[in-house]
Amino acid sequence: MSAIGPKSQILALYKCLLRESQKFSSYNIRSYAIRRVRDAFKENKSLSDGKAINNEIKFAKENLEIIKRQTIIGNMYQTDKLVIENIH
Amino acid sequence: MAAASLIRSAFSGLLRKSTTIKTPVACRLFTVALQQKYHTVKTIANLYNTSDLQNGVSRSRQYATGPVRKVTPQDIADRVIKKPQFVRNYSHGPPLTIDIIKSRVLLVLQLFDKVNPEKLSLESHFIQDLGLDSLDHVEVIMAMEDEFGFEIPDGDAERLLKPKDIVQYICDKEDIFE
Repeated sequence: MSAIGPKSQILALYKCLLRESQKFSSYNIRSYAIRRVRDAFKENKSLSDGKAINNEIKFAKENLEIIKRQTIIGNMYQTDKLVIENIH
Repeated sequence: MAAASLIRSAFSGLLRKSTTIKTPVACRLFTVALQQKYHTVKTIANLYNTSDLQNGVSRSRQYATGPVRKVTPQDIADRVIKKPQFVRNYSHGPPLTIDIIKSRVLLVLQLFDKVNPEKLSLESHFIQDLGLDSLDHVEVIMAMEDEFGFEIPDGDAERLLKPKDIVQYICDKEDIFE
């Protein structure tokens, strides 16, 4: 995150990834996706090489597309909520 | 065709022969007619029973003879319990005042796992005082969006660096003044 130029772009990407991950209907996949996004961004927080940063941005965008597709597919084949989830 | 020829022969016999043969021939005629009708009656009965199943809900009316399905207490319970799913609320939410917004913002921040509730105040800076990084700041803003039910654009989110700023921003959005 030390690169100043794409900082806002990276933060927007982070927000998008978290928002899309929240849409998973399955509890386990949802919590995994959110955790994975957080960990991946924390892990690469101190990257300073421009090329490496661009690679990570590309990787994040690809994964955002995957998450978008998978949330839709996941919602087609929903199962019952787990007992640990709040039932509204 | 067989039935037609049978009837024709029966009729010719009826005309030719004496009255003693009349009764069995008449009986035969009646049986043939009944056999022909049987299929029609059966299909009509089937139609009636299937038309009873409308919109996937089977009603317990049955016109054919047979065991009538009884409505169990479980059926009634299901029907009654399912009903309140379609309740509409016409009232608006609780009225917002600055104090309520302040307490809700602080509550969200206290529940945020990376914020130390003891250091938290309306004036504390997220990054300098509370030790959050820019990623955590994004998550704080997302939590505020969820709490107050509207989206905060990235450009505005950058400027909201203190709980006080968030309270002021929400007041502006919701048209609340002191």
